[in-house]
Amino acid sequence: MDDIPRIQRMIAVLWPSFIMAGVATILFFTAFDPRDFLITTRFAELSRLGAYSIGFFLFWLLTASSCLLTCYFQRPCQD
Amino acid sequence: MSEQDQTVKVEDEFYAKRKKLYPREVHGIFASLRLTGVVVLLGLYYLMPWVQWNGRQAVLFDLPDRKFYIFDLVLWPQDFFYLAMLLIIAALALFFFTALAGRLWCGYACPQTVWTEVFMWIDRKIEGDRPKAMKLDKSPWTAQKVVKKSLKHVTWILFSLYTGYTFVGWFTPIDELSIRLFNFETGPWETFWVFFYGFATYLNAGWMREQVCIYMCPYARFQSAMFDKDTLIISYDEQRGEPRGSRKKDVDPDKVGLGDCIDCTMCVQVCPTGIDIRDGLQYQCIGCAACVDVCNSVMDKMGYERGLVRYTTEHAVQGGKTRVLRTRIWVYAALLLVLLAGLIYAISQRVPLELDVIRDRNSLYETTDTGMVENIYTLKLINMDEAPHTYRIDIAGLNGAQLIARETEVDVAAGDVLEIPVRVRIDPYELNRTSTEIQFGVQALDAPELNVMQTGRFVGPAR
Ligand code: SF4
Ligand code: SF4
Repeated sequence: MDDIPRIQRMIAVLWPSFIMAGVATILFFTAFDPRDFLITTRFAELSRLGAYSIGFFLFWLLTASSCLLTCYFQRPCQD
Repeated sequence: MSEQDQTVKVEDEFYAKRKKLYPREVHGIFASLRLTGVVVLLGLYYLMPWVQWNGRQAVLFDLPDRKFYIFDLVLWPQDFFYLAMLLIIAALALFFFTALAGRLWCGYACPQTVWTEVFMWIDRKIEGDRPKAMKLDKSPWTAQKVVKKSLKHVTWILFSLYTGYTFVGWFTPIDELSIRLFNFETGPWETFWVFFYGFATYLNAGWMREQVCIYMCPYARFQSAMFDKDTLIISYDEQRGEPRGSRKKDVDPDKVGLGDCIDCTMCVQVCPTGIDIRDGLQYQCIGCAACVDVCNSVMDKMGYERGLVRYTTEHAVQGGKTRVLRTRIWVYAALLLVLLAGLIYAISQRVPLELDVIRDRNSLYETTDTGMVENIYTLKLINMDEAPHTYRIDIAGLNGAQLIARETEVDVAAGDVLEIPVRVRIDPYELNRTSTEIQFGVQALDAPELNVMQTGRFVGPAR
């Protein structure tokens, strides 16, 4: 595991999660209009573009954590 | 450490110890083709948002307004199906062209290649071609070097920012965006995405370059699945070229026991991914044909036949014949045609009108003084057409039911959504089930082909 350079591991965590977060964002916001579900919350002032962007980064956080865990559990168990 | 160990080591640490590449400038047929690709694609990218159509931006993926404009076609989130279909078709087209002609996409059309070309062009304008740029990097930090390097980065950054600004202009009307930009009034998120995309361009086309293709591109990893022995690849003719070696121009290679490769390493110097095509087919090769162009010019100079490095297929290299029209190609082509025809048909049949029937959540049903049963609904009518219409609302499928609404003929402006509260009333003796289907229909008075039906549920007392 440790012979894989750090930068490759960073790409392996950040990049696939970026792609999947993009897909998730598109699907999610195609189905739901942020204005509809934010209007009753204290984020009612947030523009749609803002909601999309925040949504995207939340998705990215989620997918990146999952990639990070995969990366972590890939380590060999025996030591 | 033996030499072999050393190569292995270097390969292992390729990420960490990336050798900076200085691809030499090439001229030739394929270089011109690539230049055409760059000009056309970037022209489209930078100019398309400015093209107007019927008084609005011709192609606009209006995210803030949740509408996609593609010339006359206006797509709503409800039309996601068409977009998904379009993406599938695009993917299939990529399969088709890859099976046919290898990494055509990578070499000529991929944004990574296209923007990297521009950045390399900037490099060459400022730092000079390969030898000069290498010398500059090795030289100590003189004033001239500082000037050149800063000039390069400033140009990179300005170009990236303009790219980011255009990017946002695809998703929000670009003319309004520019006005806001000149008044420093762009919204926080617009500004953010201009910088985000600009930064990505700067990083990918300026710094990462071939590493994006080698390490990040998913297509590069799975393209081998689409390759077969009849796929067009770029290959070095080993039989003809070997044994390689330098020689004087007028020496007959046969006499000195050499092949046609003069080992000038020009093919390596021009390669944007820094590989040696003479080592055989490698997954790093993006099929840009720079080595083909340069080797052809070397062959011309030597007075040898062209095509020592050329577009060919594995079958042809092995002395066989290339079969272009093979099963794989037919299957991809057939699928592509069917999907494309399906999409065109679906779009031609699309009714720009949408009706949602939402049942009142608070009560299952209500009973009136006269003993009738009522259900309450909200009808959500979306006029996705570019013109206003008057629609008539109807119900069907439930005998004896009566539609009660403030008005059963409603005006809806172009691109507008109207919510209409309605009640459906019926004598409970007419109901023979607790829950029955009921159809709601709307039709435009001036355009009868604009009509949709939507099924709802009518709930009555338990029997
Ligand atoms: S450019 Fe052609 S002749 Fe020169 S080293 Fe490459 S294959 Fe050999
Ligand atoms: S080997 Fe030739 S075709 Fe492949 S990337 Fe390098 S220059 Fe382009």
